[in-house]
Amino acid sequence: MEPAAPPAAAPAPPAAAPGSAGLVCAQGRNLRAVLCQRCGSRVLLPGAATFARRELLLPAMRKKAAAAAAGGGGDVLREHWLVRDMFSFENVGFTRDVGNVKFLVCADCEAGPIGWHCLDDKDSFYVALERVAHE
Amino acid sequence: MAKTYDYLFKLLLIGDSGVGKTCLLFRFSEDAFNTTFISTIGIDFKIRTIELDGKKIKLQIWDTAGQERFRTITTAYYRGAMGIMLVYDITNEKSFDNIKNWIRNIEEHASSDVERMILGNKCDMNEKRQVSKEKGEKLAIDYGIKFLETSAKSSINVEEAFFTLARDIMTKLNRKMNDNSSSGAGGPVKITENRSKKSSFFRCTLL
Repeated sequence: MEPAAPPAAAPAPPAAAPGSAGLVCAQGRNLRAVLCQRCGSRVLLPGAATFARRELLLPAMRKKAAAAAAGGGGDVLREHWLVRDMFSFENVGFTRDVGNVKFLVCADCEAGPIGWHCLDDKDSFYVALERVAHE
Repeated sequence: MAKTYDYLFKLLLIGDSGVGKTCLLFRFSEDAFNTTFISTIGIDFKIRTIELDGKKIKLQIWDTAGQERFRTITTAYYRGAMGIMLVYDITNEKSFDNIKNWIRNIEEHASSDVERMILGNKCDMNEKRQVSKEKGEKLAIDYGIKFLETSAKSSINVEEAFFTLARDIMTKLNRKMNDNSSSGAGGPVKITENRSKKSSFFRCTLL
């Protein structure tokens, strides 16, 4: 099925940047389903999250050998899908705590981290646009 | 936003280390991505959405994440659990013998009406089998629990197992709701977990 055309004339929520172009509806929600880049597992249904900007550091998504070669590290990511209720996710995995943070991974193949959750804010779950695919 | 699901069930995976509990949580075990980072930290729980009889069910599935090694699985872990998968490895007799101890642990720490199911995992490794399927079935019958042999590796019966457990929980909830239908009929489905726990001053020591 062809994805619906983005609402071109809609009052764009906080300046639709290149990464989010065509993915955000007029109400600031995700137009398309959010999928795992690697195995296609369904993470979020359309409309389940809102677009949000926030600088978050996510550890690298590389596999073991590649990560070792590149010296680990991570990426600062700025564009996210913000989910307010944990059970709005279709399929997702939560890592154990790293300090007061849990990282989100694909529930089926465990690719990740694809997102970030701070235990101090029970109602905020961020999924980085760059780390997922859109249907 | 309105709730987009009908039921929410908390499920636990219990059993000795190495029986493949974590693998039951993968859909594509061969294909696991396994970054250094994620395999080091480990997964706490997963949320999965399934559909049963037209109802959307959210499963929150917890792995013991190695706690069983320290025999520290206690009331806190069992709190709110509505279903438990008891997992052994068909190539490891000890893990099968320990199912009885795990059942005792559940009886001591979990809600008395928790749904249980026994899984004999790694059934793709028939050449190394130490526990016959009949033995597994007999144990399950003795305890009045459902039983399946599974292979996370070959994706045999894994989905069936979770669907079966979810269905049993749903059936039990519906029965309870019908029993209580005199109070507040017709309202939205509310899932209240049964908090009644057997109080016990004994801590179960395993093995």
